[in-house]
Amino acid sequence: MSEPHPRRAAVTGIGVVAPNGTSTESFWKSTQEGVSVLDRITREGCTDMPLRVAGEVRRFDAPEAVEERILVQTDRFTHFALATADSALEDARLGRADTGEDPFSVGVVTAAGSGGGEFGQRELEQLWGKGSRYVGPYQSIAWFYAASTGQISIRRGFKGPCSVVAADEAGGLDALAHAARAVRRGTDVLVAGATEAPLAPYSMACQLGYDELSTEPDPNRAYRPFTGAACGFVPAEGGAVLVVEEETAARERGARVRAVLAGHAATFTGASRWKESRQGLARAIAAALQEAGCAPGEVDAVFADALGVPEADRAEALAIADALGAHGGKVPVTAPKTGIGRGYCAASVLDTAAAVLAMEHGLIPPTPNVFDVCHDLDLVTGRARPADLRTVLVLSRGLMGSNAALVLRRGADAS
Amino acid sequence: MSDRITVEELSELMKKAAGVTVAPEELQQHYDTGFDVLGIDSLGLLGVVGELEKRYGTPLPPDAERCRTPRQFLDLVNGSAVAGA
Repeated sequence: MSEPHPRRAAVTGIGVVAPNGTSTESFWKSTQEGVSVLDRITREGCTDMPLRVAGEVRRFDAPEAVEERILVQTDRFTHFALATADSALEDARLGRADTGEDPFSVGVVTAAGSGGGEFGQRELEQLWGKGSRYVGPYQSIAWFYAASTGQISIRRGFKGPCSVVAADEAGGLDALAHAARAVRRGTDVLVAGATEAPLAPYSMACQLGYDELSTEPDPNRAYRPFTGAACGFVPAEGGAVLVVEEETAARERGARVRAVLAGHAATFTGASRWKESRQGLARAIAAALQEAGCAPGEVDAVFADALGVPEADRAEALAIADALGAHGGKVPVTAPKTGIGRGYCAASVLDTAAAVLAMEHGLIPPTPNVFDVCHDLDLVTGRARPADLRTVLVLSRGLMGSNAALVLRRGADAS
Repeated sequence: MSDRITVEELSELMKKAAGVTVAPEELQQHYDTGFDVLGIDSLGLLGVVGELEKRYGTPLPPDAERCRTPRQFLDLVNGSAVAGA
């Protein structure tokens, strides 16, 4: 008799709304083609700030994706979350009839870095412009980091464990890890991910204080990590939601296991202390590999954090070398986010979605706008590179000092 | 507030404050249906109350946002001292 299988967390559904595509298919097409959609910011009230370039989501039709009753009480970041949750559940073939049988078996976990800034600004303008009676009651819930988790669970009737990770940009990976832990502890399904909408005047003003922000006005030059021309990062909106469920149960119900969340670890090294992030990120990688039972040499590709700040890029390149040894200089590294921007917590979930798609297609997407790499990394630039990808490492760091690493295994190999 | 609050006005405010579309004729048929069944949660009703208070520049009775049905709500706000003021 074999030993009982430990419960493992499988990815069975992906939902994406990104600057380069509002469906998983269009996102992957643009990502693997290496298309950059970074552009001058066009959103109303945002065009006269020192931050000029971002990854805007321009083709998202909120009233099409979300019913009016929910629209009036939610911010754009929650519209993205509701739309991507719907797509992910549809992709996983989990309909209302399936999840309705045992609502306590389905939970939700999201991460958010900036909350509902656009909604909040509108209501605060009412407060200071007209008076407290002019602030709508939904302000009490719409701006809040937890809004997306709450609205997804209410809208779909999910009553399993629900939570929000407020852990900086790396929180996107932490939310996926939290989902994996919930599955191991006994919950059948977790809807997990992160979406952000930081391109509104108030939210942008908040970001202007970050030294790491790129103020370069040329979209092709604004975000070029790992090069001598690195001048900071470009923000983005959108995000992704994954359906994470117990692998055996997923296979039994005939779901397609797209990947397994095999290992994760997170560390903290202090706000903007990029030199120190080397040690923190290396430690996170080592611990994530250990949890996954994965030797450094088994890593077939790395999706880098790629902040675009020279000191931070150097720390990341060194962290990869520290954690993977000689393999660190040979393993293909990519940062497709240079084509869409960095969506704070959402960035690492979009990277995870891209990593799953990369394993399925046997293709490492390139790093747009990046050419002359000045670190000892095999960065995939120009065009996508075919590769047999069984194991992929996704890295993320936050401006406030969080570092995280996630190890993904290919779904087809995982059983 | 010299005029009574009509079912038309309630319908309009339900759409504005809570994003819920129920035509006046339909609302009339659902006089005793719970606001929750119509899709209005407690914050939505609070929004309706807030809109009315702004519009007429006077507070509604303290229990207005606790009404469970359109009939209860209209009876309360139209029967109160506010309506006759």
